[in-house]
Amino acid sequence: MSIFDKFGPLSDLYNSILEVGDDPFSVCMAEILSPTRALIDGREVLLAGTNNYLGLTFDPECVRAGQEAMAKQGTGTTGSRFANGTYANHKALEQALAKFLGYQYTIVFSTGYQANLGVISGLTGQGDTILIDADCHASIYDGCKLSDAETIRFRHNSPEDLDKRLTRLGQDGGNVLVIVEGMYSMFGDVAPVAEIEKITHEHDAYLFVDEAHSYGVFGDKGRGVSEDQGVLDKIDFYVGTFSKSLGSVGGFAASNHPEFELLRCVSRPYMFTASMSPANVASVLEAVHQIEKRPELRQTLWRNSSRLYDRLHQLGFELCADKGPIIAVKMPSREDAVTCWNWLIQAGVYVNLAIPPGTPNATSLLRLSVSAAHSVEEIEEIGEIFSRLAEMRRDAMPTSSDASAKSPLPV
Amino acid sequence: MPQEDHDLVFQKTCALLKVFNVNNIELTKDTDIATELEIDSVAILDLIMELEDSYDISFPMNLMSELRTVGDLVKSVQKLVSEK
Ligand SMILES: Cc1ncc(COP(=O)(O)O)c(C=O)c1O
Repeated sequence: MSIFDKFGPLSDLYNSILEVGDDPFSVCMAEILSPTRALIDGREVLLAGTNNYLGLTFDPECVRAGQEAMAKQGTGTTGSRFANGTYANHKALEQALAKFLGYQYTIVFSTGYQANLGVISGLTGQGDTILIDADCHASIYDGCKLSDAETIRFRHNSPEDLDKRLTRLGQDGGNVLVIVEGMYSMFGDVAPVAEIEKITHEHDAYLFVDEAHSYGVFGDKGRGVSEDQGVLDKIDFYVGTFSKSLGSVGGFAASNHPEFELLRCVSRPYMFTASMSPANVASVLEAVHQIEKRPELRQTLWRNSSRLYDRLHQLGFELCADKGPIIAVKMPSREDAVTCWNWLIQAGVYVNLAIPPGTPNATSLLRLSVSAAHSVEEIEEIGEIFSRLAEMRRDAMPTSSDASAKSPLPV
Repeated sequence: MPQEDHDLVFQKTCALLKVFNVNNIELTKDTDIATELEIDSVAILDLIMELEDSYDISFPMNLMSELRTVGDLVKSVQKLVSEK
């Protein structure tokens, strides 16, 4: 018996996907031409699934800051924040984020994934309870697993269900931490953070909001969904990542809790991993300033999102959420999603493929993310390719009510 | 909890599992949830939410690692109900 035997069904599924065409889960960008274009398999492809919302990965100021930091401070820190891996710029970045967001304390982690692991497992322990929105990201689920607290899910984006579950828990839950995201990564739907804040605090629980996809994207100043809904100062723990609108890699958590800094010596994902490299820190620091200085980036992003959303809607695609920079196109089956993904990459556009197991409600999706760096022509081009996809699907499926489409057939 | 309640929990659980029983196998207490049913990791968690609401209990995800069979699930629900 092999140690991999338990993955048999998954491996069969993977192989059946490979039979359809390219491997959606190991696409290699042979060359990155810009925030919106890459060479894949020798072809130039338009990127519509990068989470690079503001297109800052090639911003000249961010690139220059990164280059200078690498030249002056070296390629890596070779140590943890807890030991030799805290440089002046790590502190400067923490201060810049704290100032921008209006929190007293900020801690920078090596990735967004680790920020979630580090804060959740650092804050909660045996006897405590974590309530998470059912659609939370894997890093939040893993953070809960790393904690000794009990974890209970509540129904996605339902303040009423959260209220019911908090009431059910009564006084038995120890310290209670409620976790939601600002904008959810798969469907792009937005949490009712203001209502959730109210209910959480009525029950004397703490609120944790992961603004991974919404920092730089939502709010008057780009401070996320919490800002947009007017509750930024009421969030107990605000978490974000540098890997999306900030165009780099790393993560952070911010809070006004007077003892927040204690996490630096109890949070294992903070202590037992090397810190962000100097180049990453410097480019993020510059990106924080760029987001503050250039609200027009956000305006362009929303204009682009609106244009593409309207186009896909007109074409008759079923979209999973309201207008926003994540546009999730629902596919009737896993099979269909894989076929369309392959067709799209051949036609010259890269999107993310999301299929069960593991997706909310076992949904199959083509997930697009829009960037401020997309030109109007590029948005039109993506729309045009989707219009051909719609045509191809109409030709292939003369009846719109494909009865078999709903069953979870393997591809 | 008396015996008839045990059977009731079993029946209710089976009813909830029905949608995942695509091969229409007979559900018994020994049915292995992960391998014998077409149920993914998220769907089983959704089913737990249904059971929580049916019985007005909190069923922490931490208990999941101990669950293999339909019988294990029924036992956990019963235990949580009796502790209310
Ligand atoms: C909601 C959410 N939180 C956290 C992360 C992890 O961020 P990172 O990629 O920086 O590790 C992601 C994305 O990957 C995410 O979508």
